[in-house]
Amino acid sequence: MYKIKLDQFEGPLDLLLFFIKRDELNIYDIPISRITKEFLEYVNLIKMLDLEIAGDFILMASTLMHIKVKMLLPREVDEKGEQIDPRTDLIQALLEYKKYKEVAEEMGYFETDQRKVSFRGNFSEDEKIAPPEYDILLKNVTLFDLAKAFKKAIQDLKPEVVHEIKKINITIDEQIQFILDRLEKDKELHFLSIVDGMREKIRIVITFVALLELTKMGQIGIKISDNFNDFILYKLEVANG
Amino acid sequence: MDSIYYQVIEALIFSSDEPLNSADIIKAIKGLDGEDIKITPDEIEETVDILNKKYEEESKLSFRISKIANGFLFSTRPEYAKYLGFLSSEKSKRRLSQAALETLAIIAYKQPITKPELETIRGVNSDYILNTLLEKNLITISGRAETIGRPLLYGTTDEFLKYFGLYKLSDLPKPREIDEIMKDEDFLDQKRKIMMNLIEDDVQNEIKESTENNASE
Repeated sequence: MYKIKLDQFEGPLDLLLFFIKRDELNIYDIPISRITKEFLEYVNLIKMLDLEIAGDFILMASTLMHIKVKMLLPREVDEKGEQIDPRTDLIQALLEYKKYKEVAEEMGYFETDQRKVSFRGNFSEDEKIAPPEYDILLKNVTLFDLAKAFKKAIQDLKPEVVHEIKKINITIDEQIQFILDRLEKDKELHFLSIVDGMREKIRIVITFVALLELTKMGQIGIKISDNFNDFILYKLEVANG
Repeated sequence: MDSIYYQVIEALIFSSDEPLNSADIIKAIKGLDGEDIKITPDEIEETVDILNKKYEEESKLSFRISKIANGFLFSTRPEYAKYLGFLSSEKSKRRLSQAALETLAIIAYKQPITKPELETIRGVNSDYILNTLLEKNLITISGRAETIGRPLLYGTTDEFLKYFGLYKLSDLPKPREIDEIMKDEDFLDQKRKIMMNLIEDDVQNEIKESTENNASE
């Protein structure tokens, strides 16, 4: 198998035109079966290299195979009773593409010529500030530029961070008493039900420290709850000694 | 039109670093000398031709007035390109890729055109190339189609005309009719032209490199 330089082709249509030109095929009578085979070889090659580009080529490969199948079936007939060549759409697409490919080539010569020309104004920016006239303010600015700038401004917008310091008067002793009071009413308490309704993080932390303290003192016990994110406190009968 | 305006038109074009269109020239002349001065866009074009002829034949000047992007702009003659390129980085920018040229050709002829229409003709996804061309200001969004989804419409810009040295869009090469494409006799000729362009570029690069080396030695 010969190797094809990949970046030579701008797309599947370009590749097909290459095959047609190389083998001097008649564009109106493309040997679909032969071209499909060659096309698939190429697709397999680029599939290994670049899947993104391969997508467009795989689509064309499936179109070619679709045409190949249709060629084997009896021809469909249009309103006038003439047979429809399944290749018609492909041929049209190829010719249309070829037309623009050729124009692009000519524009390439224009580009070459134009690159040899320098214009006046090929100097660095005038230091003096131009008068703010309306049409100068909008010079060379398109809707696309505005939309792009706006999008960037919105994206770069940093949210304002506000820190607020609030003093919360709370002590471990208070929370020990709080827990003990609660345990007077209920024999067993879920931890979550104690901290339920507490708004500040620090209050929950202190309460947690308080219950650790109570456990250390041997006043309460802790056991697991059915809910894995929770546990249960219960009062130990302290033998006051 | 009085021939005194040859110099006026010349001065006006000389003072501009963007293509100056005939409407602006007429506005300046009529604004100063009165609305009843008879001067037409055609006469201005003729004047530019006369000036160019004078530059070339009588004075042998190194510059001329280009008819470009719907206006007139002083430009250097191509013969001096390599000397100018040596000093300025402006022209050593990269050429457009084949994909970019192809896309521009389709947009130029089919404008206003939507992305799906463009992709149908090219047979490949064209997101990236459209963005590149928008960034380079060679195309612009010219509106939205009235079809489902109201897709964006793309068209070419004055910068496009300037880049390719065109006066009007109608100066674009005429696409060949399909029958002519089929004959394809000039294909080899085109190929030769491409090769020549490339060789020319190579030669220029070599000259540039060798002079740079000499300078550094």
